[in-house]
Amino acid sequence: MKNRFVTVMMVLAIFSMMAQLAKAGQLLPLGLPPVPIPADNPQNPEKIALGKKLFMDKRFSADSTVSCATCHDPAKAFTDGLPIAEGIQKKKGTRNSPTVINAAYYTTQFWDGRAASLEEQAKGPFVNPVEHGLKNYAPIIKIIKKDPEYPTLFKKAFGINPDKITIDHVVKAIAAFERTVIAGDSPFDRYMYGGQKDAMSESAIRGLEIFRTKARCQDCHRIGQTSATFTDNKFHNLGVGFSAIEPRLMEIVEKVRKAKEKGLALDETVLQKREISELGRFVVTLNIEDIGRFKTPTLRNVAVTGPYMHDGSLDTLEEVIELYNQGGEENPMLDSGIRPLKLTEQEKADLLEFLKALTSPEYAPLANKIKK
Amino acid sequence: MKRVLIIVCMTAFIGTGLVGISSADEFTKKDLEKWNKEFMSVVKEGEKLFHSALGSNKVSCDMCHPNASNTHPETYPKFQKQIGKVVALRDMINWCIQNPLEGKPLKLDDPKMIALEAYITYERRGKPLEPGKH
Amino acid sequence: MKKKITRRGFLKRSAVAAAAATLPLSLVELSWGKGNPQNFTFAYISDSHLTHIKGTEFVRNFDKGLKKAVTECNFMSPKPDFVVYGGDLAQLGKKEELEHGLEIMSKLRHPVRWVIGEHDFYLDLGRFWEDKISKTTYSFDHKGVHFVVLNSILTYDSWINRWKSPAERMSNMARLDNPNGSPFMVGDRQINWLRKDLAKVSKDTPIVVMSHSPLYKIFKPWNFWTDDAEKVQAVLMPFKKVTVLHGHVHQILYNQIGNITFQAMMSTAWPWPYPISYIQKKHQIPKITVFMNRADPFHERDATGWSILNMEDGRVTNHYKLWENKDRILKYDKRLGYPVDTVYQNPANRIPPQEHY
Repeated sequence: MKNRFVTVMMVLAIFSMMAQLAKAGQLLPLGLPPVPIPADNPQNPEKIALGKKLFMDKRFSADSTVSCATCHDPAKAFTDGLPIAEGIQKKKGTRNSPTVINAAYYTTQFWDGRAASLEEQAKGPFVNPVEHGLKNYAPIIKIIKKDPEYPTLFKKAFGINPDKITIDHVVKAIAAFERTVIAGDSPFDRYMYGGQKDAMSESAIRGLEIFRTKARCQDCHRIGQTSATFTDNKFHNLGVGFSAIEPRLMEIVEKVRKAKEKGLALDETVLQKREISELGRFVVTLNIEDIGRFKTPTLRNVAVTGPYMHDGSLDTLEEVIELYNQGGEENPMLDSGIRPLKLTEQEKADLLEFLKALTSPEYAPLANKIKK
Repeated sequence: MKRVLIIVCMTAFIGTGLVGISSADEFTKKDLEKWNKEFMSVVKEGEKLFHSALGSNKVSCDMCHPNASNTHPETYPKFQKQIGKVVALRDMINWCIQNPLEGKPLKLDDPKMIALEAYITYERRGKPLEPGKH
Repeated sequence: MKKKITRRGFLKRSAVAAAAATLPLSLVELSWGKGNPQNFTFAYISDSHLTHIKGTEFVRNFDKGLKKAVTECNFMSPKPDFVVYGGDLAQLGKKEELEHGLEIMSKLRHPVRWVIGEHDFYLDLGRFWEDKISKTTYSFDHKGVHFVVLNSILTYDSWINRWKSPAERMSNMARLDNPNGSPFMVGDRQINWLRKDLAKVSKDTPIVVMSHSPLYKIFKPWNFWTDDAEKVQAVLMPFKKVTVLHGHVHQILYNQIGNITFQAMMSTAWPWPYPISYIQKKHQIPKITVFMNRADPFHERDATGWSILNMEDGRVTNHYKLWENKDRILKYDKRLGYPVDTVYQNPANRIPPQEHY
C-alpha cells in the first residue's frame, strides 16, 4: 500500500516537473547543458503533451499490450528493470532498455547508434517483431485518425489536418516529449555546480576524485567545468558478452558483410540474433575496429536504471565497478582506454557512493527500492 | 620646533643614503650567473627524471615526448579533457605518471615535480603564453 | 592496359622467359618491362617496440598494439598477398622481446617480409635477426613489381665501438632525443649492392623500397634522417615509378623527390609528435604532408595502427588504419605528380585536430 502510494506520488512529481519544463520553455536543471533541439522539430507545449500521450498508448502494438512506456516506464526511471527487454507476448530481444532520461543529449540512439536522432529511434520498435510487433505503420495512423482526441491534438501540435498525419509526425511528437525527460540537480550537481560543499558525503567526494583519476572514468563518462552529460557519445568495447561470439568471430563477420551487401534489415536482425547483436557498432559501420563496441551511456541516475551493460548482464553497480577494476573482459578488440585499475576496497566503496550521488531528486525514491 | 624636526628628518634621510642601507632588489652580473646555474642544475635534474621510468612499467616521458615536445607548457592552466576541469601543468604531469606510466602521482610541491616543470618549460623557451589553448 | 594474367598468357610468358635467358639483355627488357605490373594488395605492420619488464612480463600497452594489428590483418577482405613488418619489433633488442614478437606475429595467416629497425639491431648488431628472422638486405619480385629491402639504420663504426657494453650502445640508440646519438645511413656497401640489383630491372618496372628510417632528411635531432639519402636517391632516380615505404617516425609523413614517392608507415605502439613541436631546432617536414589527427593519450591506441596498401598502376595507395582516430587514404595523383590525402589535401578541408604545434 505504501509502495503504491510512493510510486504514484513519484510519477505525479515527474510529470508535474516535466509540465513545468514544457511551460517554462525548458528551464535547465542544475548541471545540464542546453538540450539540442533540431531545426525541423521545434518544441511547443501541444506537441510535447501529444508526444507523452503517444508514448503511453498501448494500442500501437500487435496485441495492444505494448507501448513505449512498457520498456521505458516513467515509474521505473524510464526503463523496465529487466536485463533484456520484453515486447509483445513477452518476446525477448537481445539488449537492455536504455533510459529515456537525458537521452536527448545523445548524438545517436540505440546501443549501437544505428538511429541518428530520437525521431529515427522511435520508428524502430513499432515494427520490430520482438517489440511492438506491427507489420508496418499503417495501423498506427489508422488508430490515430479514428481516435476521438488525436486528430485535434495533431492539429494543435503541427497545424495539420488528419489526412496529412504520417509516422513522421508521430515520432516528432514523441521526440519532443522525450526532450523534456531530462534530469539534473543531483547531490553531485549541487556539490559541483551549485557550490554546496555538503551536498555529497565525504565518501562520494573522494569517489569523484577517484572517478577523475585512478578509476579513469572521466574520458568517456564526461564531467565538464560547468555541466556534465557523463557521455562522450562514442562507442567502446569493454568485452562484455564478447566471449559468446569470439570463437566464431570471423564467420559471423563474413555473414554480416555478405548480408549487408544484400540489404540487411538492421533493426530487426540486431534484436533477434544474439551473435549479430554482440557485434555492436560494427553492424552499422562495417569497420573492423567497431566490433563489440557499444555507446557510452550517461551515468546520471545510474543507481536506479539497472541492470547494466548492453546485455543487462550486470545486476549491481558493485559488479560494474569490479568489471572495470579487472580491466574489462579481455578480447582482441578491447578499447585501449580500459585496463586493470587496482582499486582498493575503500576506493571501490567511495566510487560507488559517488555513482549513487548522481540520482536526481525526482527519482531518489526508487533508490530505496533497489535490492542489493 | 617644526624647523628643527625637518632638519632632523632630512639628516636622517641623507645619512642613511650615505651609509648605504638599501631595500631595493640589488643584484650583480655574478648573481645572475650564479642563479642561472642553480636553475640549470634543476633543469638537468628534470631532464634526467624526464628520461627515466617514473612509473611502474618501463615507459619514460621522453618516449612520447622527445625533447619534451608536445607538452605545451605555455598553454596552462587550461581545461584538460582527460581530467574534466581547468588544471595546471603539474596536474597533467601527474596524470601522465598515473596513466601511461602506471605510477603513483607526485606531491605538487615535490622537488621532482619542480625539476620536471623546469626541464619541460626550458625546452619550450621562447614560446609566447597561450593559456587555455587546447 | 592492365591485362589479367591468364593461364595461357602465363605459359606464354614462361616460354618467353626461358627463351629470354639466352637472349641479349636489351631484348629481355622489351618483353618484360612493358607495364604489366598487376594491381594487388599487401599490408604493413611496424614499430611495435615490445618491451620486456621481467620474467614473462612485457609492457601491456605495446603488446596490445601488435596483437590488435595481427587480429585485424587476419580479418582483411580481400586477403593481402603478404605482410611487411617494418622494423623495431623489440624495444631494446633483447632475445625475450624478439621471441615474444615472433610469437605474436606467428598468428598472422599471411606470409611476412621483414625489415630491420635500430631497436632490433643495436644490441647484438643484428645477429639474432639474421639467424632467426630474416636477411636485412634483399630483393624480390611480385606480380611485376620489384621490391627491395634495405638496412637503413646503420651508422658510423666509431660510434658503434665507443660503448662499454652492447646494452649501453642499445640504450643510447634507443633514446630518440639523445644528444650523443648518431645519424642513420645505408652505407656504400649496400648502395653498391642496390646498384647491381637494380641493373637487372627495366626503368619501367615499378620499384618499392622498404627501409626502416626514411630515405630522405626530415629532422636530424630525432634521427628522422638518413645521412647518405641523396646517394640512395640517385640510384633510384632513373626509374619511372619508385615508392619508398618506411617506419621509424610513428606519424603520417609523405613526400615526393623527383620520381620517388616517400610514405611513412604508422607504429602499433605509440604516436610521435611532429618535429614542429620542438621549437629549438629547425625541421624539414615535407610541405605536402597533411598531419594526422592529434591523439588523446587516455586511449593508448589513439593514432597508432597499420596500413593496407594497394598497388595500383605501379604506385602505392595507402589506406592508413589509424585506431581510435581518423583513417586516412594516400593516393598518388598523376596530374600533380605527388601523393595526396584523398580527403584533406586541400587546405580548405583541414580540420582542427590536424593542427599540431
